[in-house]
Amino acid sequence: MEMDRESGKLEQIVSQFRSKILHVILDSRVPSLHRQQQESLSLSRVRKTDKWFNLVLGDRPPALENLNFSLRNLLDPMVIDIILIRHGSCSSSVDNLYAPSAAAAGPSTETVIERWVVQYDCPRVFATPSGADAAVFYKKIYKKCILLLRSLYSQMRLLPAYRICRQLSLLSQTYNFDLVYKVSSFSHPFSREEEDGMKEYSFTPVEALPGCLCVSVTYRATLSDFNLEPLVSLPPKIITDYVGSPTTDPMRSFPSSKTGAHATSFPSTGLRPPSSAPFQRPHSWSSGFHRGFPPTKTQSLAGSPPAYCTSRKPYDITSPPTDLYGNRIQNHRVSTLQQATAYDEYKLSPPFSTSASPSTPTYLSGANPLLTRHCSETAPVTIPLTGRSTRYLSSNSSDPNRHSLPPLSPRSSKHDASSQESPSGIRSYRKIEGLRAGESPSGLSNLYSAPKVVRDSKDDSGRFSGLLSSSGSPRIGFSRSSSRLSFQDDIDDCEFSCPFDVDDVDVSDSSSRNTESKRASEFTAQSNLVGKKSQDAAVGILVHMLRTAPPLRQDSSCYSTHSLKTEYDGGAGVASGFFLPRKTADALEELNSYREMKDLLLSKSATQAVRKEGKK
Amino acid sequence: MNCEVCQLKELEVEHFEIREVLRCILHTIVFHRALGLVRPKDVDLELFEITYVQCGDVELEKKIDEKIDHFISWVEKHPNKKSQICLSFYEVKSKQPFWFANKTERLYWEQWYVNLNVTQHPKHHSSKSHHTKVVVDPGESAIEERSSRRAMVEASLREVLFQIIKFVNEKKDHVPPISEGVIYFPYEITIPSSSDSAFGMDMIKRMLHSGHPTMLS
Repeated sequence: MEMDRESGKLEQIVSQFRSKILHVILDSRVPSLHRQQQESLSLSRVRKTDKWFNLVLGDRPPALENLNFSLRNLLDPMVIDIILIRHGSCSSSVDNLYAPSAAAAGPSTETVIERWVVQYDCPRVFATPSGADAAVFYKKIYKKCILLLRSLYSQMRLLPAYRICRQLSLLSQTYNFDLVYKVSSFSHPFSREEEDGMKEYSFTPVEALPGCLCVSVTYRATLSDFNLEPLVSLPPKIITDYVGSPTTDPMRSFPSSKTGAHATSFPSTGLRPPSSAPFQRPHSWSSGFHRGFPPTKTQSLAGSPPAYCTSRKPYDITSPPTDLYGNRIQNHRVSTLQQATAYDEYKLSPPFSTSASPSTPTYLSGANPLLTRHCSETAPVTIPLTGRSTRYLSSNSSDPNRHSLPPLSPRSSKHDASSQESPSGIRSYRKIEGLRAGESPSGLSNLYSAPKVVRDSKDDSGRFSGLLSSSGSPRIGFSRSSSRLSFQDDIDDCEFSCPFDVDDVDVSDSSSRNTESKRASEFTAQSNLVGKKSQDAAVGILVHMLRTAPPLRQDSSCYSTHSLKTEYDGGAGVASGFFLPRKTADALEELNSYREMKDLLLSKSATQAVRKEGKK
Repeated sequence: MNCEVCQLKELEVEHFEIREVLRCILHTIVFHRALGLVRPKDVDLELFEITYVQCGDVELEKKIDEKIDHFISWVEKHPNKKSQICLSFYEVKSKQPFWFANKTERLYWEQWYVNLNVTQHPKHHSSKSHHTKVVVDPGESAIEERSSRRAMVEASLREVLFQIIKFVNEKKDHVPPISEGVIYFPYEITIPSSSDSAFGMDMIKRMLHSGHPTMLS
C-alpha cells in the first residue's frame, strides 16, 4: 500500500515534469502559444498547474491535454520536433510578379530545426524508497527537476529557433516561413546531411531512482542559410475615394498621373464623360491603367502572384475575401486539416501500439492563422506590364482578373473548367453564360451569393472584386448577353479579358467618342444587332442604370425593384439586345454588382472594346 | 556544505554595454537560483539579440540595478581595467558560542564571478564614439568594425549564458533545500571597492568567514 503510494508520487512527478517541459517548449516555439503565454503571464492568478516546479507558465494550451493523454506511458520517450516550413520562392521580389504562377509558387520545404527528447530511463520493475527516506528522496528529485526546468526555460530563449518564433508571433509582419511542431513517442533518425548542421546538448539527467529523467536537444546551430525573410506587404489602407463606394462621386476626375495613363470615357447615353486627363488611381488594381509604365512600389508590392494560393487551394465561399484572404483560408484549411488529422490519429491509433507506426505523431500547426502564409497575403494583384499583359490578354485560361482586380475575392477565377481554384466563381460565371442563353437563372444567385459574403467583410473592394471575379470582366459579361458565339469571339479576338488591365487603349480620340449624341445614335441604330454593336448598347444601358441607381446601402429589394423598373423602362428601346429573356430579379442583382464597376466602365474598357471591334 | 565557484568567461565590453551585460548575467544566475514560485519574465536586450529571463521580483531587480550603478561609478573612476563582480549565495546559520548571544553567520555555498574588461574610457571616449550620433568621419569600415565587434560581444555573452546553464545543470547537489515561501536564496553582490587591494581583501575575508571553498559540508 505504502509502496503504491510512493510509486504514485514518483509517477506524478515524472508525469508533471513531462507536461511542464512540453508546455515550456510549446510556449516558446509555437508563435500563437507564445503570444498567448505572454498575455496570460501578466495575469496574477496562479493555477494549480503553475505550482508544479514553481514555474508559472500561464494557461496550458488545450492541445497539451490531448498530448498528455496520448503520451501517458511515462516509460516511452516524448519526442518534440520543431519543424520549419519554408514556403516557395514566392517572395516580395518584383521578378516574381511576372513569373509564371507555377514557378513563382515553389514548393514548401520542411526541416526539423530542433528535436527535444524527454525520457525516463527506468527498469520496468523497480522498488521505490519508503518511510522517512522517501520524503527526502522526492524532495531532492523535485528540486532537481526545478533546476532542470529553469535551465531549460533559459536555454529555449538562447537557441536560434526562438528568434523565429518571436518573429512569427508578431502580428505586424508576415514571413515566408512557418513553425510547426510534432509530438510523438518515437522519432525518425536524422539523415547524415541533416546531422551535419546540428548540435546536441543534453541536460544533466535527474536521478529519479530507480531511473533517471533525461532531456536532450538536437538543434540547428544556425538558421541563416534558410533565407528566412519577411514578406513585404502593403499595410492595410482604407481607400476613402474608392471608385466603387457609393459615397464617391462617380464622375470625379482623378489627379493627373505621372504615368500618363488616360481615362477613357464610357460611351453611354446620358453620361458625362470623365476627363481625359491622365489620372492615377490609388488602388492596387488600378495599375492596369498604367500598363506600360513601371509599376509603382505599391503596385509591385501588391503583385505577388496569387496563383500560388489560388491554384493550390480551393476557396471557401464563406471566408471573407480580404487582403489576407488566401492566407487565412490557407492557414485555416491547413491548420484545420492538420488538427483534424491529429485528432483523428488520436482516435485511430493508440499512442503506444505495436503497429508500424507505434505512435502516431501528432502533427499540429502552431502557426498563426493570420500570418506567415506567404505571397497570397501580399495583395496578390498586379496589373501586368506591357509585355506580360499581352500574354494575359491573349489567354483566356489565364486569370487576368487575378492580376487586374482587387485581390480580395477568392473567386478571382480562371475561366477554365479544369481550374480548381475558384469553383464557385467558375460555376457562377458559367451560369451567367447559361442564363443569358436562357438557361437556369440560378447562376446569378451564385454570382451574388459570393458578393454577399464579400459584403459582410465590410469592404467595398471586396464586393467589387467578388463581383468581378465571379463574373469575369464586365465587358465579357456584357458580351455574354449577346450570344455565346460572340463571347467566344471576344475572348479569342481581344487581347484582354478584363477592362481594367488594359492601357493600350488609344485615348486620343476619346474626346470625340465622348459625344453622347453620337453614342446614342449608335445605340439606337444597332440595338438589334447581336455581338459587337450590342455590347455598346449594353454598356450604355448599364451605365445609365448605374448612374441612376440608388446607393448600395439601401435595401436591396427596394433598390432592385425601383431601379430596374425605371431603368428598364428607359432603356428598353435601346437595350433589347441586352435584355434577353431573363428575370428582373436577375437583372437587379446584376445591376447591384455592376454599379460598383461604374466608373471603370466609364474608362477605357468599353472604349477599347468598341474600337477593337471597329477595327475588325 | 561545499561552496561551488564558477568563473565565467571574461567579456570585453564598452562602457555603455556594461549595464545590459551585467543585468543579463546577474538576472540569469538569480533566475536559476530562485527556486520558489516565480513568474518568469522575458527581457530582450537592446544592444544584442539576446533574450534572458528574470524571476520577476521587483525588489530583486532594484537591488541588482543599484549594484550595477555602483559598479559603473567604480569603472568610471578606474577606467580601462579588468574588474570582477561576485554574486554569492549563502545560507544563514545561527552560531551560538557559549559566551555570546545568538550570532548568525553566512555560509556561502555558491559564488559566481563575472569578469569584465571595460575597454574604453567611460564618459569622455564613449561620448565621442558611441553616444553621439554624429561622428566626424565614420566611414563604412568603422561601422563594419563596430558591428563585428558588437557581434563578438553578443557571441561571448551567449557563451557566458550557456556556461551558466551548464554549471547549473552539472552542479545540483550543493543547492540547499527550498524553504517554504522563499522565492530566491539569500544572495550578495560584491563589486570592486575603491581600491583593488581592498577588493581583494574583501574576497579573502569572505573566504575566511565561510571556510575554504573546497571544504566539504
